[in-house]
Amino acid sequence: MNHDPAIIAGALSALELAIARALTLAPVAAKELEDMAGTHIVIECTRPEIDVTISIDEAGQLQLKQYSEEAVSTRVRGSAEDFIALVTADDPAATLINSKLEIIGNTAPLLALQAILSKIDIDWEAPLVDALGDVAGHQLAKFLRAFFSWSQSAGKSLRRQLSEFILEEGRLSPPNAELEHFYQEVGRLGLRVDRLQSRIQRLAKRLREYDQ
Amino acid sequence: MSTQDQRGEQPESADGDTTDFGFRRVKRGDKEQLVRGVFDSVASRYDMMNDLMSAGIHRLWKRFTIELSAVRPGQTVLDIAGGTGDLAARFSRIVGADGKVILADINASMLAVGRDRLIDEGVVGNVHTVQCDAQALAFPDNSIDCITIAFGLRNVTDKEKALRSMERVLKPGGRLLVLEFSKPTNPVLEQVYDTYSFRVLPLMGKWVANDSESYRYLAESIRKHPDQETLLGMMEDAGFVNCQYHNMTGGIVAVHRGIKA
Ligand SMILES: C[S@@+](CC[C@H](N)C(=O)[O-])C[C@H]1O[C@@H](n2cnc3c(N)ncnc32)[C@H](O)[C@@H]1O
Repeated sequence: MNHDPAIIAGALSALELAIARALTLAPVAAKELEDMAGTHIVIECTRPEIDVTISIDEAGQLQLKQYSEEAVSTRVRGSAEDFIALVTADDPAATLINSKLEIIGNTAPLLALQAILSKIDIDWEAPLVDALGDVAGHQLAKFLRAFFSWSQSAGKSLRRQLSEFILEEGRLSPPNAELEHFYQEVGRLGLRVDRLQSRIQRLAKRLREYDQ
Repeated sequence: MSTQDQRGEQPESADGDTTDFGFRRVKRGDKEQLVRGVFDSVASRYDMMNDLMSAGIHRLWKRFTIELSAVRPGQTVLDIAGGTGDLAARFSRIVGADGKVILADINASMLAVGRDRLIDEGVVGNVHTVQCDAQALAFPDNSIDCITIAFGLRNVTDKEKALRSMERVLKPGGRLLVLEFSKPTNPVLEQVYDTYSFRVLPLMGKWVANDSESYRYLAESIRKHPDQETLLGMMEDAGFVNCQYHNMTGGIVAVHRGIKA
């Protein structure tokens, strides 16, 4: 696990909430998911390298975890593109057979889950507020909206949004040059804070002198 | 003149008759009272400040901690220094009706806020609140499946004693998770973070909660807390095995896990 667990946790909880919201609007899909309670599927993504366990709990809620010790029914290994192709496929069974995805265990739960998820309409924005709280969630949603230019992307396909997200995700550990630049900026900010502080002190001193 | 300058001037851990309270040295017997004062003072605004100060990220740190706990339905979980019940509420859903969650804290004001909040959130039935000191847990030996302590250990006067006490009440194979501020892995990040916690946090505390002193203590106590490797060693000394830790957000926070042999 070389990604920061907090960042992965943020992405997963946003996704989880987005799916939960969509399920409240799709009772049939929700019922089907409930029937899958107790299923655990591991997605082993090789590029970027992230393992995610998809669990369906007793209440039929879908949970996404980066660490789990559950006994899994299915384990699927492949790159992000392979997974996106599967999620967005019209004919998942055929896609699965032809794809480079490696499957260990039972394929049936995987296909059943894919069928359910393809039926629901997922809103990616609102859950961020729930995941991160009002202030941060709103800020991040604003940032993401700008980032994906969400306003005009109503017609954009899920496939496109996801692959952009994954692309960015791959950048989560920024290259060194970028980091250096960031640190320099931060260093400059620190200096400015110091200067500001001494200015405030001078002003305060002057005020005190003025008062006397 | 800045508070950072005092770093490292004093020994890290409690020695002799005195111990650290933020950057100050105080009599060992006084620390508890002082810590209580801090949390009495912040209790009512604690949850809001938590969100504000960490930009909501504390929820993600907690989420990962819960994943690492691998708690299952029917188990008994003890959340020490549980404060307003953040972790307890989440565990309550996981352990279900057959399980039990004990929300323990030394501070009655924090527990009172926690109890109200759990009721508001509809978490009732399997959560019990207990006022107790992490250094002397009043539970039978070998009785708990999982113990968590989130942002609590640094407030405890005798951390070694607390860890031993946790080890005693855990069942063999049971696990302890310590979520706590730690040492950023990158020196530049450390500096940014220092600026944030020593200058911005007390200001926020002042504006939002009208209480800059308590938030200054919180920032200082973070610096006084043992770093990743030291805490790992302390857990091993207390008898835990397979100890490991994960840094989060660049090491600003780390979650340590140990198993009772
Ligand atoms: C920063 S709060 C953390 C609350 C909660 N665990 C969370 O993560 O939001 C620290 C808590 O530790 C409690 N505490 C301090 N010393 C303690 C001790 N010796 N035993 C038990 N709890 C203690 C305080 O009362 C306070 O509620």
